[in-house]
Amino acid sequence: MAKQVFSVKGMHCSACVMTLEGLEDELAGIRSLKVSLHKERAEIDYDDKKISEDEIRRAFEGKGYGLARA
Amino acid sequence: MSFDASTNLLGLAFVTGVTTGGLSCLAVQAGLLATSVARQAETDVTAQLAIRHVVAQRKKRSNRRLTKEQRRRERAALATLAQPEKPKRRNAATPIALFLGAKLVAYTVLGIFLGWIGSVLQLSPYSRAALQIGIGIFMLGTAARLFNLHPIFRYFVIEPPRFLTRFIRRYAKNNATTVATPLFLGTLTIFIPCGVTQAMMVLAVGTGSPLLGAAIMFAFILGTTPVFFGLAYVATRLGEVLHTRFLQLAGAVVLILGLVSIEGGLNLMGSPYSFSNLLNAASVSLAEASGGSPEVAAQPDANGAITIQVYNTGYFPDLIKAPSGKPVSLTVVSNGTTGCTRGFVIPSIGYQRTLPETGQTTINIPASAANGNLRYTCSMGMYSGYFEFT
Repeated sequence: MAKQVFSVKGMHCSACVMTLEGLEDELAGIRSLKVSLHKERAEIDYDDKKISEDEIRRAFEGKGYGLARA
Repeated sequence: MSFDASTNLLGLAFVTGVTTGGLSCLAVQAGLLATSVARQAETDVTAQLAIRHVVAQRKKRSNRRLTKEQRRRERAALATLAQPEKPKRRNAATPIALFLGAKLVAYTVLGIFLGWIGSVLQLSPYSRAALQIGIGIFMLGTAARLFNLHPIFRYFVIEPPRFLTRFIRRYAKNNATTVATPLFLGTLTIFIPCGVTQAMMVLAVGTGSPLLGAAIMFAFILGTTPVFFGLAYVATRLGEVLHTRFLQLAGAVVLILGLVSIEGGLNLMGSPYSFSNLLNAASVSLAEASGGSPEVAAQPDANGAITIQVYNTGYFPDLIKAPSGKPVSLTVVSNGTTGCTRGFVIPSIGYQRTLPETGQTTINIPASAANGNLRYTCSMGMYSGYFEFT
């Protein structure tokens, strides 16, 4: 298991937060995903045996946002 | 109340909404609508731009020297990225319709309360002014956020509660953003009623019936909807044409509306520091310095009586010179007036009343209030004038 804080680029509104938090339901291996628009951060609790950090980053990119380790 | 009387009342509320309510309320509430529509457009535009950026990056990478197998993988990745994640082209009318639908429901519910608890919900001019200034500041912050001036402006976002977004997301996955924001903002309009809406609210209170109160508010807001929808829809289509510039355009519109809201709030407080009052003061000083007469200033008669006319576009005269320390009997005359100037307020003596469409209303200004500048304004602070006691 891994818990990591990332910085998120490209968010503009609460709709972006809702879109990204929706990944919690879409990606297997994500236990919880909390996004803060104000801090431009995402706190992700995930099972690193089921999903890698790179896969999460690509999923964020797929939604149109950038993700990097904070 | 008889059935005929009730029907007439509802018909009147609807016609008032169609003829004057739409335009009058749009001036006040358009900010929330613009914010709502802007947020929707913002989501679509930024998502498209972000995808274009990622696609361009991938293409750049794929042009490097790669083996056949690497190129095949890149192409496959590109295809999965560009196609399923492309945002669906949404109907521009959807957020506007949701906003107006929420507004209709919210005001109908408000009508139930008004019919039930009477005049308890009416705000004083100062409370409304503070609310209006608060809304104006929020709009300025929203504009700054749309211009992307500084990260701190991200705090100027109305975010629906997390539990609600989670619920909406899980049960209406694909369209959660289109639903939540305009609905929430549409509901908020009950806190910024314009002068004509306030008149309808008073009417709803007067019925003393939750059912009729709700029906009146429903009929009135339904009447305002075509004007709101038409203007907002045109604005949205324009935004689509301008495409990437739309965020800046929306920011500029919200900025102007924010300034108008703050200006109205300051006028409603009777503040001399509103833009229109500062402009008035400057023009008076300039005219006096050049030796001319600044503008037509009315004066009370020997008995201290003065009359002002109420038009849809303002008050005449808007400057009255009177001796200080002497009471004034002010008669306000409306003649077929239907605009928000009917909501007449003198903030510093706590006077507020919805004037009849046609008729006279007399207000006694006590000697204790007859000093300095005493301002009068419409209930939203859009039109004003003042007494100059010397």
